[in-house]
Order: sequence, then structure tokens, then C-alpha cells
Amino acid sequence: MAGAFGFKGCQKIRGPQIRNLLEAKDFFLFDCDGVIWHGEKAITGAAKVVNSLIRHGKNVVFVTNNCTRPRENYVHKFYRLGFTDVMLEQIFSSSYCSALYLRDVVKICGQVFVIGCDGLRRELQEAGIPCVEEADDPDATIYNCALAPDVKAVLVGHDDKLTFLKLAKASCYLRDPDCLFLATDNDPWHPLSGGRILPGSGSLTAALEVASGRKATVIGKPSRFMFECISSQFRGVDPAQCLMVGDRLETDMLFGSNCGLDTMLTLTGVSQIEEAQEYRNSELTTNHNLVPDYVVDTIADFLPAFEDLDEEGN
Amino acid sequence: MSGSKCTRLSGALVKQLLDSVDSVLFDCDGVIWRGDQAIPGAPQVVNLLKEKGKKVFFVTNNSTKTRKMYADKMSTLGFNVTEEEVFGTAYCSAMYLKTVCKLDGKVYLIGSNALKQELEAVGIQQTGVGPDHVAGKQADWANVPLDPEVKAVLVGFDEHFSYMKLNRALQYLIQGRLFVGTNSDTRLPLEGGKAVPGTGCLLQAVETAAQRKAETVGKPNHYMFDCVASQFSVDSERCLMVGDRLDTDILFGSNCGLKTLLTLTGVSTVADAEAHQKSGCADRQGMVPDYYVESIADLLPALQG
Repeated sequence: MAGAFGFKGCQKIRGPQIRNLLEAKDFFLFDCDGVIWHGEKAITGAAKVVNSLIRHGKNVVFVTNNCTRPRENYVHKFYRLGFTDVMLEQIFSSSYCSALYLRDVVKICGQVFVIGCDGLRRELQEAGIPCVEEADDPDATIYNCALAPDVKAVLVGHDDKLTFLKLAKASCYLRDPDCLFLATDNDPWHPLSGGRILPGSGSLTAALEVASGRKATVIGKPSRFMFECISSQFRGVDPAQCLMVGDRLETDMLFGSNCGLDTMLTLTGVSQIEEAQEYRNSELTTNHNLVPDYVVDTIADFLPAFEDLDEEGN
Repeated sequence: MSGSKCTRLSGALVKQLLDSVDSVLFDCDGVIWRGDQAIPGAPQVVNLLKEKGKKVFFVTNNSTKTRKMYADKMSTLGFNVTEEEVFGTAYCSAMYLKTVCKLDGKVYLIGSNALKQELEAVGIQQTGVGPDHVAGKQADWANVPLDPEVKAVLVGFDEHFSYMKLNRALQYLIQGRLFVGTNSDTRLPLEGGKAVPGTGCLLQAVETAAQRKAETVGKPNHYMFDCVASQFSVDSERCLMVGDRLDTDILFGSNCGLKTLLTLTGVSTVADAEAHQKSGCADRQGMVPDYYVESIADLLPALQG
């Protein structure tokens, strides 16, 4: 899908070019961490950008691989950080989409063994999906542990309470080829504010892939599924009308590419423009899919365009 | 090595092979024992080889026991073996850090008490062994206090593996410490014939989070052979490696220029070996053994005769 102003041009745009883009698109998908906020701190100007887009009648959704909170918590966070017009229906997390996948695509009949935190379990429970109880089993050891009956899927996400026992149980369930193997996302590490990082779901998924000899089906970006969730809930979403705005080339930009969307990299997060340029210069053509169409220093660069649009309206 | 490979070892060929070697290296799990049961005839084979003047060594990727623990288990099962003849990855990892990396500092250890003991035996202090659960908030985890004396991260089999340990290893590695793994086996065989996820899984978790590959001590890499050869005079051309896994034992033998013998009492089958042979892939030829036997007990007639 060629960008209107350059084919995967990795082009930094500002002012009038941004204004033209805002006029041309009516569906904006934003990643969260590193794009609209860093941890508990909104990026300067981000709330105004989001609120302005909504006020100008644009569709805005948030697409995040972060599977640690249920969507209700996200609504509160949005409000707390000044994004006052954001509703539950606009939030698409990998945990919510994993629940939808199990309920609507797989139509699962049986239990799910979850390696993940409470946020993930709550999304599954809300979708009516039975999860194996996280039993406090003091007698269980890796040499001798009880397995639940009727487990039809193993789902791996970020789990700060990961233990060897959970890995051992999961790999037992996965010996059954009819038991599905799903992962919320593949991010090897998650960024925190201040340049710190933590191990991501991808590292836990990788461990289980080695243990089971099987590859996980990944729900989150860069897989297409989250866009399919969005399309099924917002009828008539035309990829040509969409812009995906993110900070991570390997997830956000590739996701946009995979779904046929124009992509914009913002430099307030994980990826640097030099990395994008390396992918662009790569001999491996698949690497070109990680190159953004457009680049901005921060999404606050949209603000002058709104001022222009507002002036014209007056 | 001659063109013919994957030959069934029987009859006169057995004596011929044994006469052509001075040293025999045995893997343990699936070769001389299964869990806590010796493979029938295995103790006699080992003891007779030694009586005939062959040097016998044991080379295992399992990092959960010290050399002494292995030697004790072997004695219980009837093998006449001394500690010095056992080369497990716990011992070899400690030696690797000491003599090859010349480590001057502490190790952040994801591993067993046995690995801790082997490190301490060569004068290397460790931190991290035992249970370690998360506490506090996410921000605390990224700011977990790091011991400035830690100069390396070592990953071995650890039943206490947790997110917090993975996190600590990541935080040390971001700062550019040495990164070593005992082995990359996907499964660890247990007593009673069961198996659980192996060190390879834990190592993969850390490698993925840190986006770095570890240096691996165990088979099929050749360090364990270097370790044996540094303490005993062993001529690779007159040395036989006996194992049950093509991708660790046999490949190890090939990598070190040893003769290789597959025994079928463990993981790999003749069909697996023939598949590698017929594949035409140069990378896979190292996994084709020179010879195979149903069990190492098949060597007995030649030794007793």
C-alpha cells in the first residue's frame, strides 16, 4: 500500500504535509506506550491531539500489545492523563483481542491454561472463557503435578508470577496437538520510563516454544488479528483511510504494513530513525515492510495542523 | 573419516573398533542409565573397558549434579568410577569461567545448588541461587539493585526459575556482562523416565529478553572435550564418543574429530540418523554416527572374549 506522499519513504513531515494527511485519513490507530504516554506521564500535547481528532469527527482507536490491564483500567488511565474523550470501545489490547479470538474465531469448548497476569484473566472471564484456576498447590513439584482435564488451549502473556512449574504444565498440555498454542504478543522486552526495560511476553513465549517444539499463534501486533477485531466492531473501515501511528518498527510499522495501512513512526519511544533507514536500505525485501511511510518527532507535531483547520473553520 | 557411516556395530567389528581407541567418552542419560536404573550390562562394560586399560570418561549436559554426586550415583549402580572421570556441565561451566573467560568477579546464577558448589570449588562467588519472586511494582523491578561485583550471568537448569530471575539476568546483561549457558537441551530427563522443560527453554527466555546469544559450554560445543583433554592425555583420533542423542552427543563427537557410536537406549533412532544422512545437507552430516548398537551391552562379548 503506497503512502499518498511517498512509498515507504520514511519521510519526516510537518506543517502543511501533516494537515493534508489529517484531511485525507478518517481512521487513526495509535499505539500507547511511547506514543501518547510514557508510563504514568502523558506525552506533551498528546491529549490535545487525540481530543482534537475526535472533535474533528475522526475515528480514533488505541491498539496496544500491553496485556497487563483490563480495558476498564485503561479508560481510567486515559482520563487520569487528560484524554477525556476516550471510551472503552476505542481500546484494543492484546488481552482483549485474545479473548475475542478464543470466543469468536476458535469458539473454544473447554478450558484455557493461562500464563499471564490478572488483567489477562479478567478479559477472558469477561468474555465467558473458562480458565484453569491458578491453584495454590503447595505439594505440587515439577516432578509430580496434577493436570486439569479438558484444556483446549494454552495462552501465554506477560506473567510476573511465572514459575518453572507453569512452564512444565504448559508443555504437558501442548503435547496434545489439538491443544492450541496462543501468545498475546511477541515483544521480547517492554520499555519503561527512563530508558529502562523489562522482559516481555516474547521471552516467555520463546521458552515455551523451545519446551514444546511448537510455534505459538501470536494475537498482537504485528499479526493482523487486532485489525480484524477493529474492523468487525467498526463497520466499513477502509484500510486506505487509516493511519497507524506507533513507536516500534518491529510491531507497529510491520502491523500497519501487514494490514495495508499507511504508517507513521513517532520518535518519542523505542525505535530511532536510523533503524528505520537501515531497514529501508536492507537487501532483504521483507525488511522494507518495517519502514514507516512518515515520521514525526512527536505526535504533538499534529497540533499546528489543527490550528490551521480551526482557523479555516472560523 | 571413511565414507561409510551409520553402520551397525556387531561381530568382529566391535573388537576392531575397541582396539582402535584408547579412550571412551560416555554420555549418561539414556546411555549408561535411565533415571535411577542402570542400563543392563552397562556397569560391566565400563568396568571391563577400564580393566583392559582404556581411559573412560563421562560427559553429560545435565547441570543438576556435581562430579561427586555423579560419582556417588555411579558407585551405587555398580560402576567403578572416580570423580575426576566425570565431566558434567556444572563442573565444566565453572572451569570455563575460571580458565577460559578468566573471570574476575561474581556470577549472577540461574541454576542449581550443584552449579553453585562447583563454582565455589574453583573460587567463584555467585548470587541468585534459590527461589526469587517479584515484589513491589514494575518500576521497582527495572531498578532492582545490581551487585557491581557481578561480571557474568550463567544460566543452567533451575527449578526455581521465575520472572524475577529472568528480569535480574536481563538487567545485568544490558550492562554488558559475560553471558554463558550450561547447555541448550530442550528437555531434562528425570528419575522414573519422565521429562520436563530443559535448560534450553530458560536460556531461550533470557536470550530473547536480552536480544543476545549466550556462549554455551555443553555438547555439541567442543569445550567439554577440551576440558577432558586438558587434564588427561587424550588423542582425539583414538577416542570414541558414545551417546544417545544425534544433535548433542554425536555432533559433539564429530565436532571434536572423535569416532562416534549411537546407542538406541535413549532419544534418537536409526531412522533419525539415516534421515540426516540422506538429507544431503552438509550441516546435518555431523549428526550421523559412525556406528550404532541397540545398547552398550552389545560391546560385552568383545570385552569378555
